[in-house]
Amino acid sequence: MQVEVRVFCGLEKCIPGARFGQPLTVEMPDGTTGYGLLEILNIPRENAFSLLVNGAHQDFNEVLAEGDRVSIFPPVGGG
Amino acid sequence: MQRAGEAEDKRRICLRPEGPSYAAARSRTSSSIYEADSVSGRYQHSTFSFERILNEFSEWYISCITIKDSIINQFKILKQRGKFFVDKFMRVNMTTKEISVEPVPDKYAPLGGRALTSQFVLDEVEPTCEPLGPFNKLIFAPGLLSGTNAPSSGRISVGAKSPLTGTIKESNAGGVASQKIANLGYKAIVIEGQPAKGEFYILKITPDGAELLPAGDVAGKGGYETVNMLKEKFGPKAGVIFTGPAGEMLMAGAGIGINDPEGNASRYAGRGGLGAVMGAKGLKAIVIDAPKTFDVPVADKERFRAAAKKFADILLGHPVTGQGLPAYGTNVLMNIINEAGTLPTRNFSSGRFEQANEVGGEKLAEACNARGGKATHACHPGCVMRCSNIFVLPDGRHMGSLEYETAWGFGPNLEISSLDDVGMMNYICNDVGLDTIEAGVTLGVLMEAGAIPFGDGKAAIAALEEVGKGTLFGRIVGSGATFAGKVYGVTRIPAVKGQGIPAYDPRSCRGNGVTYATSTQGADHTAGYAVTANILKVGGFVDPLKDEGQVVLSRNLQIATAAVDSTGLCLFVAFAVLDNPEGLPAVVEMLNAMYGLSLTGDDVVALGQSILKNELEFNRRAGFTKAHDRLPEFFYTEELAPHNTKFALKEEMDELVNF
Repeated sequence: MQVEVRVFCGLEKCIPGARFGQPLTVEMPDGTTGYGLLEILNIPRENAFSLLVNGAHQDFNEVLAEGDRVSIFPPVGGG
Repeated sequence: MQRAGEAEDKRRICLRPEGPSYAAARSRTSSSIYEADSVSGRYQHSTFSFERILNEFSEWYISCITIKDSIINQFKILKQRGKFFVDKFMRVNMTTKEISVEPVPDKYAPLGGRALTSQFVLDEVEPTCEPLGPFNKLIFAPGLLSGTNAPSSGRISVGAKSPLTGTIKESNAGGVASQKIANLGYKAIVIEGQPAKGEFYILKITPDGAELLPAGDVAGKGGYETVNMLKEKFGPKAGVIFTGPAGEMLMAGAGIGINDPEGNASRYAGRGGLGAVMGAKGLKAIVIDAPKTFDVPVADKERFRAAAKKFADILLGHPVTGQGLPAYGTNVLMNIINEAGTLPTRNFSSGRFEQANEVGGEKLAEACNARGGKATHACHPGCVMRCSNIFVLPDGRHMGSLEYETAWGFGPNLEISSLDDVGMMNYICNDVGLDTIEAGVTLGVLMEAGAIPFGDGKAAIAALEEVGKGTLFGRIVGSGATFAGKVYGVTRIPAVKGQGIPAYDPRSCRGNGVTYATSTQGADHTAGYAVTANILKVGGFVDPLKDEGQVVLSRNLQIATAAVDSTGLCLFVAFAVLDNPEGLPAVVEMLNAMYGLSLTGDDVVALGQSILKNELEFNRRAGFTKAHDRLPEFFYTEELAPHNTKFALKEEMDELVNF
């Protein structure tokens, strides 16, 4: 299945050629979880904090679905 | 992670959620939170109860200071013994041009920052007065820790009755002024009365005293030129607090500017139109000549130094305050707020802007570095979080810091994706003296009206340039979103109590919606920043798309924030303190070491609540009721994409202020 992934705030440095915020189409096996996606993208677990799937927070242990818009962030804050 | 004495702490905390919201919240039982592992020091997800999270909020805050009678008495005794350095209260009468310096009244001795400004405004400003008339008073107050080397403690509170909202107002800023004022021994500077129309003055404060000088050719000048002229005249290290042409022309969207350590006119007590109050007082600027920054004496130097060091380590050790904020600034939020679908776009018509990344923190950091600016910068000396930046315009002018809410207001809110256009609009606001949030919301309303086109950066820049010229259109732009909307018959005006709603849509970040509706300040994101638990997963998680728990969350944050705003600490220390059990004790320890007290968490509620109660009482006397604690109608009737949600809370929010 395919998901559309965006990474931010330096996580893009883990992925050769990637740029922050640019959508990446990732092909992965059915049943892949958030953590599984991190492995595919070579992003260390400890660097990723928020997983937004279609705009809502999702646990990294949950399975992703075909066509999901996935966004991955380290801890961020401001305001 | 368990913390020592937790059970005992919980007993002391009175901010127990009550009523249906609490029951609903309890049923949620657990949330994910980001917390340091005590063994590895690594940050990781863990599980916490909702109740625990709320207690964390309350607990931190209260411990900062208390105002129970015994504490007031302790302060009184210490004061009588000459123990306090910051013990002077300056009053400047703009009618008679007299300046008096008196001892700090006993009741104000334990107060600082917002606690002091709000108590003072309640005590001395007639709530029904004309905000731009002679009976309003403008008060500047450093926080309780300002002027020491406590990390990130150089924030200042500015208070008055607001010409924008008609409510009480506390507007909070960085820059160099707070620490300088404290180091000259002033607890507060109060501006009263009113000179003849058209007269403008400079208040010069030095170690030798203060004097009012005619503003001369500084009157009418923009912020950048004002700071440069005054630094040339009074020395390169002078601190300058100023109002721009918008404030001189009494526009309700005007803010009060303060220079940063590099001299850029870029730090603003922006919200609520206090720049117009300063203009109405005929006060163009305050120049502070103080040779010291960190030298306010503390009661126990060694104890204070150790606590300050520990607190700095805590801030630097947390990934948000130690890494994310320094690297990308507050605009690090742009993309996560967009991805969460709560980024107000096209005057709050959508929750997502596909070009948001073009004006986000990562792009900003690249631009700052590429043009010789700074991606990491401290807005005041001694800040270890350094979330400010120095953005450089394409023509080489140094604008100062571009913050998230500004980038949002001039970017997605207007469907503008050019960082340079956004930066130019920020520059104009710094110069003419406008609150960037109010200006952004106003331009969105004017675009909604069709007065200027959505997405047209150059037209937006041209509109802001009209402000300084004082044209009719410029005055509309400078008078705030509510006024501009009425002029054009717009019914979709995103504002509460006359103040524009900032960069988080209340329909999909509902905790902040509650804060916008119920804050004593009008719509104000910092008054109870529920984005933490709604979106950022700092201090717990409360689903941003559901109503459960939002009222309690907002209430506790509002109480906590009122307290933080009294210490001089930047509100952003909360990101680290909420996740580190040693954070709160370090803050308390600094206060105790500084003042020779033995503060505990006992009266946290009394402190934060007392500030809010003062503010609520002022507003009540000014004519505000719970009917004013509502969001504009369209948030209740229009769905927001991508989550297709509406705001629904009404009477439920009335419980918020029942304490």
